[in-house]
Amino acid sequence: MKQTLEIHDLWVNVEGIPILKGVNLTVPRGEVHALMGPNGAGKSTLGKVIAGDPGYEVLRGQILLDGEDIVELEPDERARKGLFLAFQYPVEVPGVTIANFLRLALQARRGEEVALGEFYGKLQRAIETLEWDEAYVTRYLNEGFSGGEKKRNEILQLMVLEPAYAILDETDSGLDIDALKVVAKGVNTMRGPNFGALVITHYQRLLNYIVPDVVHVMMDGRIVKTGGSELALELEERGYDWLKEEVGA
Amino acid sequence: MNETVTSLSLEDLLRGSERRGEPDWLRDARERAWQIFEQLNWPTRKNEAWRYTDLDPTWFALDLEETGPAELRQRDELPRAVRERLAESDAEAALVFANGRLVHAALPQELLEKGVVLGDLHAALRNNADQVKGALYQAVTETGLQGPEDKLAALNAAFWSYGVFLHVPAGVALETPVGVFHYASEGGKLGLSRTLVTLGANVEATLIEEYLSPPLERTHVATGEFLLGPGARLRHAGVQTWGAGVRHFHRQRALLERDAVLNDLAVNLGGSLARTEVASELVGPGADSEMLGVYFAGAGQHLDHYTTQHHVSAQARSDAYYKGAATVNGRVVYQGLIQLEPTAQKTDAYQTNRNLLLSREARAESVPQLEIAANDVRCSHGSSTAPVDEEQLFYLATRGIPRAQAQQLLVAAFLEEVLGRVPLERLRRHVAHVIEARLGG
Ligand SMILES: Nc1ncnc2c1ncn2[C@@H]1O[C@H](COP(=O)(O)OP(=O)(O)O)[C@@H](O)[C@H]1O
Ligand SMILES: [Mg+2]
Repeated sequence: MKQTLEIHDLWVNVEGIPILKGVNLTVPRGEVHALMGPNGAGKSTLGKVIAGDPGYEVLRGQILLDGEDIVELEPDERARKGLFLAFQYPVEVPGVTIANFLRLALQARRGEEVALGEFYGKLQRAIETLEWDEAYVTRYLNEGFSGGEKKRNEILQLMVLEPAYAILDETDSGLDIDALKVVAKGVNTMRGPNFGALVITHYQRLLNYIVPDVVHVMMDGRIVKTGGSELALELEERGYDWLKEEVGA
Repeated sequence: MNETVTSLSLEDLLRGSERRGEPDWLRDARERAWQIFEQLNWPTRKNEAWRYTDLDPTWFALDLEETGPAELRQRDELPRAVRERLAESDAEAALVFANGRLVHAALPQELLEKGVVLGDLHAALRNNADQVKGALYQAVTETGLQGPEDKLAALNAAFWSYGVFLHVPAGVALETPVGVFHYASEGGKLGLSRTLVTLGANVEATLIEEYLSPPLERTHVATGEFLLGPGARLRHAGVQTWGAGVRHFHRQRALLERDAVLNDLAVNLGGSLARTEVASELVGPGADSEMLGVYFAGAGQHLDHYTTQHHVSAQARSDAYYKGAATVNGRVVYQGLIQLEPTAQKTDAYQTNRNLLLSREARAESVPQLEIAANDVRCSHGSSTAPVDEEQLFYLATRGIPRAQAQQLLVAAFLEEVLGRVPLERLRRHVAHVIEARLGG
């Protein structure tokens, strides 16, 4: 079995307007790739399309999860196959507690009951790693959370659900440096041969703590450059304009 | 005037009353109600209170379900659906009616010693004659029925065939709920039940009434009369979980004397068509009526609710909060009326209705109304209907939760605001399970 998340020639419209224009990208398990690019390049769109957001129209292309095309699958089916999206803007769900929801999600992912003891054990470890307060899990999902709390909650879910592939969309935005370190620690505990990640970020800052194996740059709906972690530093120093000129975007 | 679509007649009425050995006053009251029933037209959508619900008179042209002497059985000989509910219920005192006949009665000795009466209304007419005579038809009268919207109340007043009597003497507090289960398994019947509750001063009691059956074609018309003495506190839940095909019509009215407190919960989940009318009459200062409702309409279901908060006395409080959801082509209706007499100064009265729609074809109608004839009052009302949040569904889906289960979570979360106010944990769980089952997944 192939152990990659592969995007092939992906074209996506939103309300008739082309947003992704032939994206090609491969993230193998065991690697962390960064996806950078200016605002409006289409990074979040790519994340949502991979996760199966019904609001986007896929015109062409394939999304291969371990070799299987998942373009036609519902978002929950994709998640159960091992995909996870940490949202740029996590959704508030009043009335549904984190603990209750997360246990259901874990059971859905595994396709079987998960004993309370095992579940709380996992939850406990994740909370400790994230230096969080246990009281949060009895609160309603993201309701009234600050931007930083929402991001931490996304990583909590990532750690409990243990997906094969995670897309983290601007998990660093809205975090102070301490929170950033903690969130990075959470992601780094996930790293290993069975886990691949695509870390979407605007800034190099997060990549000091989650050091990527590969860096991709997206502009105007395409991957225009791919390199090593030094590419992120270069972008930090020089901005995106030189690259725009170089690729003629 | 009246299309003679029912198989009922005055002769039937008189014969039935005689056969059951009813006292003259009751026979006369039934006859008065019959006269009114005969005169009134059936409600149509032209009647404001029935604007969103079609009623077909042939639904009442079914075979009237006659009651008979109690056939008491042990718990383990009861229909399975009832046994399961009894096992899951906190009720220690319980009555079970099957097809209009009392089949099980459990009344702890301790309650008997305190003077609590719980039983078949026909038996109470013999054993507690004066109590029943002074109370029956007081909250839902047999004569003050004036328009088409009262047609079914008149039908029930004339022909009710079985009933419940709960009396708790002054000062007695019941520690556990009383359960009444209305079970039906025979199709093609018209069932008519009447529940009479009289609470003396400073009583505390909880009554849970459940309606349950397998899927079948049947019509049930229920009436509830609650008389709350000064300082009495009644928590009541009416839980309608009839099987598909059943039509359910329910009128309930409570009279609250000084400092009496009613906490009512109307749950409408079953049947094909249900019309539930819940009214509180605040006749003494300090009275407090909370009327809660939750409902969920799935394929082919039409669930209609009407609440009335009638403030006669000054310095009383009332709050109606109904929340419900509909999916597939389910329809839900809420109409509510806050009515303040000129005497009702210093009233606090609130009314809220919120609906959640899970599909394009699902529909909700919501009509809150105020009629205020006093000036020194605090009143508010609000209503809203919204589709389920697709972003929330997507978010939950990206965690692997299937759509049906995500909908269950969101519906439960939506109803939590109302159910969270009801301190009957096992009942709340039951309601949640029934809704989950309806949503599948
Ligand atoms: N749901 C949407 N409706 C309309 N336009 C959208 C929607 N999502 C994204 N877009 C547009 O697509 C482009 C890419 O947006 P996005 O993927 O959020 O970029 P990035 O995450 O790289 O900043 C932007 O021009 C944005 O306005
Ligand atoms: Mg973005």
